[in-house]
Amino acid sequence: MRHISLIFERVAKPISVALVLLFAVSSLQAQDAKEGETLFKANCSTCHKVFGKFLGPELAGVNERREEDWLLKWIHNAPSMVAAGDPIALELDAQFPTSMMTAFPQLSETQIKSILLYVKSEEDKKAAADAGGGAAGGGSGAVAAASGDASNFMILGLVAVIILAFAVILVLNKVIRTLERVIDNNKELIPAEGEDEEGPRKDYLGKLKKLAKNKKLVFFAVLMVAIFLGSAGWKTMWNVGVHQGYKPVQPIKFSHQLHAGVNQIECQYCHGGAYKSKNASIPSANVCMNCHKAITASDKYGGELSPEIAKIYRALDYDPETMEYGPDQRPIEWIRIHNLPDFAYFNHSQHVVVAGVECQTCHGPIETMAEVYQYSPLTMKWCIDCHKETEVNHEGNAYYDQLIAAHEQLKKGEKVTAAVLGGLECGKCHY
Amino acid sequence: MLAMNKMKLLSAVGAAVAIAAVVTSCGDGTTRSRGWEFSRNMYDPLGYNPDQPNPNFADGKTAQTPPAGTVPVGFERFDYANTTDDYIRAGEELVNPLERNEANLAKGEALYHVYCAVCHGPEGRGDGSITKDRTLEAESRQLENFPPPPSYAQSDGINSSRGGTMAELSDGKIYHTIVYGLNMMGSHASQLSPEERWQVVMYVRELQKK
Repeated sequence: MRHISLIFERVAKPISVALVLLFAVSSLQAQDAKEGETLFKANCSTCHKVFGKFLGPELAGVNERREEDWLLKWIHNAPSMVAAGDPIALELDAQFPTSMMTAFPQLSETQIKSILLYVKSEEDKKAAADAGGGAAGGGSGAVAAASGDASNFMILGLVAVIILAFAVILVLNKVIRTLERVIDNNKELIPAEGEDEEGPRKDYLGKLKKLAKNKKLVFFAVLMVAIFLGSAGWKTMWNVGVHQGYKPVQPIKFSHQLHAGVNQIECQYCHGGAYKSKNASIPSANVCMNCHKAITASDKYGGELSPEIAKIYRALDYDPETMEYGPDQRPIEWIRIHNLPDFAYFNHSQHVVVAGVECQTCHGPIETMAEVYQYSPLTMKWCIDCHKETEVNHEGNAYYDQLIAAHEQLKKGEKVTAAVLGGLECGKCHY
Repeated sequence: MLAMNKMKLLSAVGAAVAIAAVVTSCGDGTTRSRGWEFSRNMYDPLGYNPDQPNPNFADGKTAQTPPAGTVPVGFERFDYANTTDDYIRAGEELVNPLERNEANLAKGEALYHVYCAVCHGPEGRGDGSITKDRTLEAESRQLENFPPPPSYAQSDGINSSRGGTMAELSDGKIYHTIVYGLNMMGSHASQLSPEERWQVVMYVRELQKK
């Protein structure tokens, strides 16, 4: 035993030293790659991806494609290389006519090298993942399926329960039939039991009759039913045409919680119409593409484009490979939630710009809604209640300036003509 | 006997109330249905709202783009194409037509914070909210970061991809970029009117001095 442990000790020392050394070297490299990652995200990710073409060429394999000296020069000052007529630079310039490699004179040689090291480490990571990917890929697929469709599971469960219930009913039926046959066969043996069976049933009927004769109880029951029907009916009648709480299934699972809440995108960015016109306007899909040209949520869908974002691409006939829009475009048919009928005129800009009402006052905590529902009842009473309480801010509003001026004239005993109150405006007659 | 009846009655009422309470407390007050409606046709608009389907047009949309070769009343033309040459030409030829005053700067700042700061950051340093690490609590999911744009600030001294530093970008170059977009940035012409674009340009020129 001792012999073995001695050998072990002898071997262990150099191994552990070697391990420590190896670890130190690899962690140094990891450190560089980490710094490279930060630099890459801050400077390069605007136009480049490690895997796949973006605005600029794919970076994977760049260390093999180009000499390191050339890369250092190129990243430091690409435009000067194009101007100087470097053959590779000219070729790249021709390949990407709409965009141009930015010059980065502020990056030091070591910083550029660490970026290149980061690209290399990403390649290694992917190669390792691909090698051990077969089994893992299948597993992750199963997980995705399980987490993706809880409703499928529930439907299957329901079907199973129904089938089970049918089976139980069938079995019970069979049992009853066999029991009946047994009774039929042995009638003379059990004559008394039949009479006994009818005994308690009669008793129940008798009890029910007694209860029906109890006037207090009957009155109470009738009263309860009347109250229930009355209140339910009253509530239903009041809520005819009131869509408070209406939460339809939209064609795209767009989450305001994510976009307005977590990302802190202002309401106006997409619904600019609320500040300029009567309608709050649904953004056209080009507004979505301001971000979703880059954001594909592929991390959630195992490297694939999110099926919800794919619907935007479909609507615009956009090809993410070539980054070009096709001719076969069709609008996304969102379902209207807030619908104020035409017999009531409502203008968004009047409320948002002139009165300075927050969007949330009427639309509720929209920045927390994963799915939007109608928060306010939008009834006439609801409008009027707010109009009764809201104080008018007339500061710096030309319309109220004019009104106040007219009142001053009245106080002084001067004549107030229709023209003073805007009676000469074209729109008063020609609208 | 009577006492027994009363007890039963009371317990029955209690049970009824409990069931009613449980039934009504179900759900979060939202519904997939619009419920009962009286004369639906009064709710459907007679005129077509811009985001409504419209059977009168071949593509079924109400919001139509103007026919080719026509210019809407009051439309301001921008006679520069989406090319690097025209970007440089716009940079040389165009000057902000608005007077540089407090009102215009304040408007520019407000518009900048709505339309630009999400990516470019409140001070134009390329650190807007969507370029930073953030988590969607409901799904405990780390969200993808938008690639950060370069900083405008003079102190950062970042280069523009079309030559020169970001801090040296002229009025016309910034205006051209708002109209057509550049690199990862999309066109913001549909969201900002020409006047609003010039107000934003005015404010961005301020940020360049930081």
